Parts: sequence; C-alpha cells; structure tokens
Amino acid sequence: MEFTREIYWNVGSSVGVLIPMYLLTLTAFAVLCYGFWQRVKVYRLGQELNRTDQLDRRIIDTVRSILLQSKLLRVAGPGWTHAFFFWGFLLLFIGTCLIVVQADFTDPLFDIKFLTGTFYKLFSITLDIAGLVAIVMLAGLFIRRYIVRPEGLENTKDDLLMHGLLFAILVTGFVIEGARMAVTELGTPLAIWSPVGLVFAKAMAALDHEALRSLHKTTWWLHLLLVIGFIISIPFSKFRHIFTTSANYLFADRGPKGNMVTLDLEDEAAESFGTAHLTDLSWKDIFDADACTVCKRCQDRCPAYATDKPLSPMKVVNQIGEVAFTSPEANLIETVSTDVLWACTTCRACQEICPASIEHVNKILDMRRNLVLMEGEFPGEEVMTAVNQVEVNGNPLGIGYATRGDWAAELGVKLLSEDPDVDILYFVGCYASFDKRNQAIAKAFIKLCMAAGVKVGILGKEEKCCGEPVRKMGNEYLYQSVAAENIALIKQYRVKQIVTTCPHCFNTLAKDYRDLDFDTPVEHYTVFLEKLLGEGRLKFTPGEAISCTYHDSCYLGRYNDIYEAPRALLAAAGIKLNEMIKSRAESFCCGAGGGRIMAEEKLGSRISETRVKMAAETDASTLISSCPFCLTMFEDGVKGAELEGQLTPKDITEILVERLEA
Amino acid sequence: MKILVCIKQVPDMESKFKLNSEGNWYDNSDLAWRMNEYDEYAVEQAVQLKTQVDEADLTVLSIGPDRVKEMMKKALAMGCDRGAHISDDDSFKKDPYEIASIIAAFAKDKEFDLIFTGMQSQDRGSGQVGVLVAETLGIPSITTIVDFAFAAGQITAKRELEGGIKALIKTTAPALLTCQLGLNTPRYPTLPNIMKAKKKELLSIPVAELHKVASKQETARMYFPEKRGGGLVLEGAVGNLADQLIKILKDKTGVLA
Repeated sequence: MEFTREIYWNVGSSVGVLIPMYLLTLTAFAVLCYGFWQRVKVYRLGQELNRTDQLDRRIIDTVRSILLQSKLLRVAGPGWTHAFFFWGFLLLFIGTCLIVVQADFTDPLFDIKFLTGTFYKLFSITLDIAGLVAIVMLAGLFIRRYIVRPEGLENTKDDLLMHGLLFAILVTGFVIEGARMAVTELGTPLAIWSPVGLVFAKAMAALDHEALRSLHKTTWWLHLLLVIGFIISIPFSKFRHIFTTSANYLFADRGPKGNMVTLDLEDEAAESFGTAHLTDLSWKDIFDADACTVCKRCQDRCPAYATDKPLSPMKVVNQIGEVAFTSPEANLIETVSTDVLWACTTCRACQEICPASIEHVNKILDMRRNLVLMEGEFPGEEVMTAVNQVEVNGNPLGIGYATRGDWAAELGVKLLSEDPDVDILYFVGCYASFDKRNQAIAKAFIKLCMAAGVKVGILGKEEKCCGEPVRKMGNEYLYQSVAAENIALIKQYRVKQIVTTCPHCFNTLAKDYRDLDFDTPVEHYTVFLEKLLGEGRLKFTPGEAISCTYHDSCYLGRYNDIYEAPRALLAAAGIKLNEMIKSRAESFCCGAGGGRIMAEEKLGSRISETRVKMAAETDASTLISSCPFCLTMFEDGVKGAELEGQLTPKDITEILVERLEA
Repeated sequence: MKILVCIKQVPDMESKFKLNSEGNWYDNSDLAWRMNEYDEYAVEQAVQLKTQVDEADLTVLSIGPDRVKEMMKKALAMGCDRGAHISDDDSFKKDPYEIASIIAAFAKDKEFDLIFTGMQSQDRGSGQVGVLVAETLGIPSITTIVDFAFAAGQITAKRELEGGIKALIKTTAPALLTCQLGLNTPRYPTLPNIMKAKKKELLSIPVAELHKVASKQETARMYFPEKRGGGLVLEGAVGNLADQLIKILKDKTGVLA
C-alpha cells in the first residue's frame, strides 16, 4: 500500500469547503494586519531611531535567537518548557504549511503529491510527537503559572486565553486525527506512524463510522475556527509577542553596552530634554512595551525590587505600554513616579537577562534627565549637594579639589603637569582620590605598577570627576562640562594609555567619552594587570590560604563583560574563590550605581546589606571587589548586617599587593 | 516691582586655605569659588517673590573681579533678570562700609522696592553690609530672616533670636532683608534657564564710578588659630579604659581632688 493520507478526508475539497475556509483565513490575516497596523501607528508616535544598521548581522542573530530560543534558555525551567513548546508548535506550523502547499497548490495545479512514502511516515510521526510535546509543555507552563505560582508572576486574562486556545487547538487536532484513523487506518501498518493519533483512535474505536465521520467533520471545523481565533487574537493579546519579541531581536541595541545618547544641549530648537511624555521616547521604547512578555525575569533580578523599593523594571516598561495605548497624553514621570525612577542603580541585570531584548535602563535615565534638566529635581538634598560639589570641587564628596592628588605624595607619583612622559595615565577617580578607605586601592595599584616597572602619572588636582554619577542621576549638562574639561586636559598631555581603578570611570572614559571626540585607549586595572601578569612582569607568592568570594561589579561585568581577568589575577595570587549564588552576569549590585552612591537609601532595606549577606553565606572571610563604589558600600554593608569581623571587604589590588613576590 | 539681590563669591569652605603674602587675607591659589551660602537663600527668595508678584524685575549685583560673573550666571539661571557686576579686583580689601556704600550708590536712584542680601558672607562674616546698605538708603531692614511673606504691599518676616525664639516683623516696601539658613531651599537651575541666562544682560560697571567713601576699618592681620592640645582617643578593654580615664582626670584636672 502507499503510505499517505487523503487530505480533506471526510471534509472534502469542494468549493463549499474551500471558499469558506480560505475566506475565513484571509479575513483572519487581514484582521491580524489591521491589528498590527493600529499598533504600528502608536510606535510611530516615538522619535526616530535607526535600528536597521548592520542588517545582515541583525537578521542572522534574530533567526538564531528565535530558532535556538537562546535568550529564553538562560533560565532553565520555564526556558526549556517554552523552547520545547515553541519547537513543537513550529513543527506543527511547518506541517500545516506543507499540507496547504500540496493540497491547494502542487496537487491541483501540477498533480504533485510529496506527502507520500517514507517522507509521509516521517512527516506523520514528527507532527504527532511535536503535538504531544506541545501539549505536555503547555501543561507544564499551566502548572507553573496557575498552581506553582512563582512570586511576582502576574496572571491576566490574556494568559488564560492563550492557554485555553492553544490547548484546544492541539487537542482538537488529535481528535480529528484519531477520528480519521479510527475509520481509515486502524489495523494498517501506517497507524504506528501516528502514535498519539492512534491512542485517540483506539479510544474512539467503539463509535460507528457514521458517528466518527460526523465527529470528525464537526471537530475539523471547530479546529479551523479555533485557529482563526488564534490568528485574529495575535495583535490584540499577549500572543503578539510571537511577532513583537522576535522583531525586537532584530531591533536590539547592538552596543556599546550601556551607551546613552549624548544630548545636544546647545540645540536651540529643543524645547525639552529627557523624557516626560510618550513622544519624547524613541519608537523602540514604545515597541519594547509590546515585546514584553511579562516574564518578570528583570524584576527577579532587580536589586531595588529585591530590597522592597517601588521599582520593577518590568512594570516601568508595562506602564509605558499602558500610556502609549490608552492615554498617550499622560505624563510618564507621574505615571511611573519619581521614587521608582530614583531607585534604579543602573546595574543592568534587567537588560542583560531580558529574553525580549528590552532596554529598561535608558528609559529610566531619560526620565531622570527630564527631572533634573527641566525641573531641577533630585532624589534628595544630599544629592543636590553632591552634584553642586562636583560643579565646585570636581568631586561629589565635597572635598577641596586642590588635595585631590595628596594621597600620592608619599609614593612619589609624578603629576603629568610635572612630567607627561609616562607609560600610563592613572585616572584615579573621586573615591580613590579622596575617600580614606579607597585611597588604599590607589596606593596598592601604584605599588603594583612600580613592581612591574610601569611608569605611572596622575593628573592630581587637575583631574575632575569623570561625570558618571551625575550623568546617571540625569545631569547631562554637568556631565558634559566635566567630561569636556577632562578630555581637553588629557589630550593636552598626549596620553597614550589610561588605566582606571574605578569601573565607572572606566566605562565612562572608554565608551561615553567616545561621543565627545576622545579616543585614548582606556583599561580597567584588572585587565591591565592581567596583561602584566601574562608578560611575566608581575609575580605573586601565594600567601596564607584565606577563604574569599568575589563580587562582580556591574560596570565591569555586565557593562563590559570582564569576568575572567579579576579571577585570573586572584588565582595567580593563590586565592581560591567560593562563588556567591549570584555571580558574573547574574551578580547582585552593591547599590551604588546610577549615582546612588550620592544618595541616601531611604526606601526598603539596604542593597549593600543584602549583598554582603550573600557573601557571608559562602563562608568566605573576605569579600573581594574591584570597584571603589562597591568597596564603600560593602564597608557600610558589613556594619549594617553586623558581619564586622566575620567578613572583610577588600579590593583585588589590596590582595595582590600583599602577595607581591619580594 | 523692582527687586535687587546682592551676592558675593566666596571660596568653598572645604578648600585648603593659605595666607596671602601681606598676611591680611587668604591667598587665592587652589581655591574653588562658589556663591556665598546665605546669598543663595537671598536669590531663591527674590526669585520666589518675583514669581509671586506680576511685573517684577529682578537685578542681581555682585562686586569683585571677573570670575564673579560665573557665579552671577548661576543667579541669572535661577531666575534673576539682569546682572550688575561691579568690577573690582581689590574688593577683598574693602571694608563692609565701603562695600555697602558702593551698593547704595548703585541702588539709590533705581527705586528698588525690596533688596535681599545674605545675612553674612562665609569668608569675612561681618554681617554688616546688608544693614549698612539699608541705613545708607534710609530704608528699614530686617536681618537673619528665616521666613518671608509678601501680601498687599505688606512684608511679614520671621527672624531668628537666641534660644530658638523667633520674632515676627512687619514692614512695608521699600525695605532690605538679610537671609539666614532655613529660609528656603535654593533651586537647582534647569537647563533651559542656564541657556537663557547666557543671553541675559550682565553689565560690568567699574567700581570707581560708585566707590566714593573711605574705609572705616582695616584688616590688620589674618592668622590661623593657634594649635591647642588635640583630642585623645582611649582604646582597649573597658576596665583599662576606666583606669586610664581616672588617671588623666587626676593628673590633668581638679575634678577628683
């Protein structure tokens, strides 16, 4: 016998079937297009933004991300469940398309049938298993959503619609198959190539053929209507993520990571700066809201959310969507609330994990820009004081600028104003310059450089804050003015290489300053010292074994993907690390980013205490970091969490300098 | 309504101060400059008043070298309408009477309804300039105000007295007020206002045109306070600490005698 099946069996391919079927299908696609067109009109309320550069790379990455479900798989449980469901559903979609191609095109037009023989057998068993996998995965997702109910997962009527509709489509598909098989395939060798259908067929075998045919025909039409309903509901429900999330991969930010638009502050035509209304956003910001599947992965990783502050990055994105589609005139800042906006540490955990390539951080920062530049508002008086201090003394700590280089006096470090012929300019940053605890980092770094024979110069009192904290607090104006001064100064000395000990300075000089016509190479000390280590210029003797854990700073890790250099340095010094539950790209912020180092933490519990407790859980006695902000927060954190004496915060430089080979 | 606010540029108090070669003032090197704190309250109050009444014109005045214009731009960005810079490289040598006379000379034919100043400067701290301006112009003054209201031509101000007591003072314009900490929170200039400020009138007037009096005081000498004995931090076990403390009290004081 020939292995195949009659398409349109029992239903028939008469005009009476085909015309209503195709009319319904075409109508469904027309509604789908109309629904999306309505949404596109809303996206277009946003400002222009080019997200179709490097289109070939974008397309390749998009197809890869969709087919491999790679972004989803970073969270294993729901990730794999969704992925298997997706792959199952994708195969069913492809299968349905093959049937359409044969039944309505190649067969009637050219008399070609390809769903036959071995190919048919494989086709049949593949779709059967795909359907089963899809049902099982859907059931798994259902159990997670409605029975396990993970914290923070919100259930809407969209979720119920999706579960119900998909389940009904899959089950009716098997009922149709079972009824057909009960009449035509039971007892034939073909039956085992549709194992799931066979189960359904056997369950229905007791019915007579007439009843089976009638059940088949009814279910076939029901199945069709369900699918039509599915297609129609895509733009009007969370089903839209099939298209919007996929498209968001295409329009994703391709870096440099953490890049912000450098505002043209002299633009006389600009009536407003930053974001207060929907139309201030880019179209991509509005589109992001539609790409969000409310999976709450961002929220799960948000240090502000985890410490009972009002911020959830997911909700900010959703609120933008709500404003866009229901009240586009509304004031976004009022909708989101200033407490939410000021709570962000810009740690980027949300953006890094987002399976939909949504850009949370810049939306928040753009609203902060509006608050500061247009309203002169800050989260508190202490922040305004710190910002004023950056203006007056070039540092947020409010210490007289003239003493900026005093820490280096005892080490004999040259100022570039005395001798600009150096191997590297050490851009010290405010905390290592002025903060007593952090000066230890600066001194240790100098000693390491001296040991490696590197000639280091500093700018001393000529150096100013890199501008990062004030920029992230929304003060683009002050950022650009301090940046311009630093840039002019560094260019004047013809510096060949800059090294920073602060990841915030590093990120700002290496990336943000690029928009301001600055191209001197910049490295963070971990990368710089690792190179010296590789060249054999730095040698360490492993000292006493101490139990340590390492905290990945956000601006070194997530912003710059530097995870290995710090660990390699520590390993070379004989340090074995007990990693915290949240490390590397999943690292939990210390609480100081986004200019929060200047702000009091008035809401919720302390982020720094939460983090030092995680460090203490590893039984480590030393919490190693590579950022002056982190060190500052942890010194406070161990006091607040009453871990003093039990856990000692240290910087990598301090560990290394203790273990320098004599 | 015409309003005048007088401001002074002072070094940031966190600066590393050195004496000048004459030993009668501080040296200008390595200093970060900013608006005198109390003058910020004065500017803020003047701007608030300007916003409250219609048809107000707010002039900001400062005496000093060219660098004071930077600070004046901040006052313009905060909301002042025009700036009068009395150009004087030697303003630091002038006594409060001379400074007040210069301001009064500027103000006398301009019919300001209200004049705001800080209650004192953070560097010289004489606290006299505001009062002397009012006396020279023959108008009432209220010093160290911590609360201010203006309604129907009536000025109502609270001023701080000793021991947390406040006095409620009423007067009518023209008048001069000197502003104290607690009066208000100075605003942070918005970007559009910073940009607008760059285009506002900022005239420089040579000080010689207004400086017509001789000084009544002279700063004879400026010096750092003499180092006295510093604090002593005792460390160690509690029992030990008590013994140490008793020994110190016995040796160095008479309280245990």
